[in-house]
Amino acid sequence: MATRARVVRMETPAATGGNALLVLVGLGVAFLLITALLGAAKAGGSLFNESNLLYVALIFYAGAGALYMGFGVTGVAKYVKFASMATAIGFIANTLAVGHRWYMAGRPPFASIYEMLLSFVWTVAALTLITEKKFGVKIIGSITMPLAVVCVILMQLLPSEVRPLVPALQSTWLHVHVTLAMLSYAACAVSFALAMMFLIKDRFPTETFLALTSALVGAIYIAVVATRFEKWGGLSVTAWDANEKSDVFLGRGVRLFVTVPDLGWLFVMAGVAALVPLVFYALARVQKNDAYHGIANKAIFIGVLLQVVVLAAFVFRVRDASYPSPYQEGLYPTSLAASPFILGGLVTGVFASLLYLMLLWRRSDLEALLPSSDALDRVTYKTICVAFPLLTGMIATGAFWANRTWGSYWSWDPKETWAAITWLVYAGYLHMRITRGWRGRRAAYFAILGFAVVIFTFLGVTYLLPGLHAYA
Amino acid sequence: MGFDILTIPKRFFKAFSNLRTGIVLLLLVVIASALGTFILQRPMTDAQKMQTVYSPQTLLWLDRLSLTDVFHAWWFLTLLGLLSLSIVLVSIDRFPNAWRFYARPYRKTDSHFRAALPTKAELPIKNAADGLNAGERALKKLRWPAERIVDGNQSSLYSERHRFSVMAVYVIHASLLLIFAGGIIDGLFGYSGFLMLQRGETGNVIELRTGAKKVLPFSIKCYEAGQENYADGSPRKWWSKLAVVQDGKELESKEIAVNDPLVHRGLRFYQASYGPTGKVEGVKVIATPNEGAAREITLRMNEPVELDPSTTVTLAEFIPDFFIRDNQVFKRSDDVVNPAIRLQIKKAGSDQAAIQWIFPAYNPVSQGQDAGYQFEFRDMQMGYFTGLEVSHEPGQWLVWAGCVLMGVGLFVAFYLVHMRLWVVAVPDAKGKLVLWIGGHANKNKDRFEQKFAEVVDGIREELDRASAAPRSAHNEEAELTLVAVK
Repeated sequence: MATRARVVRMETPAATGGNALLVLVGLGVAFLLITALLGAAKAGGSLFNESNLLYVALIFYAGAGALYMGFGVTGVAKYVKFASMATAIGFIANTLAVGHRWYMAGRPPFASIYEMLLSFVWTVAALTLITEKKFGVKIIGSITMPLAVVCVILMQLLPSEVRPLVPALQSTWLHVHVTLAMLSYAACAVSFALAMMFLIKDRFPTETFLALTSALVGAIYIAVVATRFEKWGGLSVTAWDANEKSDVFLGRGVRLFVTVPDLGWLFVMAGVAALVPLVFYALARVQKNDAYHGIANKAIFIGVLLQVVVLAAFVFRVRDASYPSPYQEGLYPTSLAASPFILGGLVTGVFASLLYLMLLWRRSDLEALLPSSDALDRVTYKTICVAFPLLTGMIATGAFWANRTWGSYWSWDPKETWAAITWLVYAGYLHMRITRGWRGRRAAYFAILGFAVVIFTFLGVTYLLPGLHAYA
Repeated sequence: MGFDILTIPKRFFKAFSNLRTGIVLLLLVVIASALGTFILQRPMTDAQKMQTVYSPQTLLWLDRLSLTDVFHAWWFLTLLGLLSLSIVLVSIDRFPNAWRFYARPYRKTDSHFRAALPTKAELPIKNAADGLNAGERALKKLRWPAERIVDGNQSSLYSERHRFSVMAVYVIHASLLLIFAGGIIDGLFGYSGFLMLQRGETGNVIELRTGAKKVLPFSIKCYEAGQENYADGSPRKWWSKLAVVQDGKELESKEIAVNDPLVHRGLRFYQASYGPTGKVEGVKVIATPNEGAAREITLRMNEPVELDPSTTVTLAEFIPDFFIRDNQVFKRSDDVVNPAIRLQIKKAGSDQAAIQWIFPAYNPVSQGQDAGYQFEFRDMQMGYFTGLEVSHEPGQWLVWAGCVLMGVGLFVAFYLVHMRLWVVAVPDAKGKLVLWIGGHANKNKDRFEQKFAEVVDGIREELDRASAAPRSAHNEEAELTLVAVK
């Protein structure tokens, strides 16, 4: 008997009706586009410049994100079609923005954190479309599109001028190296999202997600408080020189910090609130009483509200004000651009908590919409099979570029070393999977660990361990 | 039970040639590397900072355990060596099997194999020859290579793609060993250091990372060096016009810039930096005699210039930033903010020289002992140095070769699938003659299922076409006859 080809594409169950969200999102997008157009026309100047194009991309990504999340919550298949369309249009606008910036600067956009975010968002959008069309994981947009929106919003707060490159950064190999880095980090991010989806489908307990979310958000606040809390409750942030459009430096590599009063206490409060659910989770396990989970979930909800308050307070107090410094006389201005990591940490905390709440309220719907856990496991592996050669290429081209610029292809610089550690961790994943047959949960944990190391390599090293790599 | 000396190597081999040891070693390398990024490392961090950050006791222990220079510590290098050894031994352990698989493919199936293979299909056929021919045609159409295996009077088909992909993993690990080998060679035989040259200067002694000096086999002369800036003043490019000099002869010359080094005999010279030396290259003054015309002269450090047949003036000292105490001029700093210039005027026949000072920031005219001349400051040119990073890395070619090989290996390992198909005419469980088709792929099995289904459909089409053909030909003939009659 002949075996017919089995269709392996993941099909999601069709749901009926539900035009309301489509119409709403469509109207919202149209409204924002028209107001943007009018605003741009009034302001004069070219319509197709980078910031307008980026704003258009933002509008469409936001629309796509809303539709993907709507799909996640209701299961109406139609939403995905329009969501991909919106993602694709946003991606085109994003590509044009990148192209415009490239053209104006005379080089690809890789030299500042604004430009890195621009490239990252572009890659995330590209990978969303690929994962959806090629591998059929339609729900991935509900994580990646909100992430893209968050990144674009963050970009609006950062200085965006095209800065000339210091001599060491002027090289073709730089562009190849950074492109590979962006692609590989994006692939690792997608593999992380898929591994999380696997855990959701595989009945990983919601309470454990609660504990992990609480731990992550708590860790972010602990990190900020531990490094920046000042006596009497202020928070120290970097001072910003508006003329130079850079941090204020006291000496080589030494930044000037100012103290924003009372913000420290707010962070402590939010940190405590973030850890409360973890405490209740522990209580639930120790006392074997599930009722504590309910309290923990309420605590997360309150925690999110508090985090939003802290985020707003941070934005409003740091955005455009001057504060005294314990190191030098006088008042020094500060800006959000001087604290990208704290801002990023706050936004990540809110984002992670909201994702957990979505999981809490709609877990069974999400599970029904996801492909089988076996399929998710396999696609995670395939994504890492894409990420690993890219990581290898990134390290090799980085070594080649370093050799041309500094005369040494490997100097155990912290960023280089952590890139190698990332590579080794993913090599470990591949070994355990191929040789030891690790599948399922263990493979998912490994993939998540890999992404955590990627985040540390990309952000942690720059923030905590300075070295030669201190360009972006 | 005697003590068999042969068991030691065997047990060593067993201990090192399994995956668990490899993973443990990998983990240790990761932990050690991470420590090397968190703990301040010498010599990059200066000693004073180390003492500020760590307490004396902590620093003592960190130094003892080589945690302050992890990446050059003997135990770290041993770990890397053990990791390489484990890779070699695991490869040796598994390679024979892989080679056997590669060199002697399983072309002819037996009934146990056919029963056990999960991906298979059976198509009813009239006779073996037709069935196999149809199979061959279908495979050719779908661009599979079709090989006929004849064993006595039994015939079957065998088709496979990308057999070499089973070797890819060994290629990848070999490339890793190549990279390690390159690194070891550079660690043992390579060196790198810094060379500072001023304009016109020739040098051949470099300062190594450790502070020691090394003499190069040839010298480098710097003709010119400079810096180009962007509109806002930040540096855009540093460049140097260099020449390789040996035994007084110039062998090669090149203008280098950052990212574009000079390479000669395996030594690479990189433009690393450019800056002021703090010393003055030339001072322009206008010398006015008590009677006579003024003239402009350029003074270089310690080079006397003749003012008239009996008088010479020399630039004796240059202080970039001066202050006066007890009627004496001292240096405050190396930044050129408040310069002081000392001139010595010597008259023929006299041992003593008259001293005059110019403090350009206050008064361009010189002051001091009477010497028959007055000097007015016009201009000065500061000296600049070009900073060259020099490195000798003989092992780097192994590293690049390893990288390229690894790229190829990864591509083959992940994207080229070893697929095999077998087609043979056998009786099925009920005794009827069928064409048994089987397939196997070493990865991406779900994609292979689709490909296999395509092959089976293709063979079925060919079989149908073959059995339908005689009848349709007959019909065509009949129709033609009809038409002709009309």
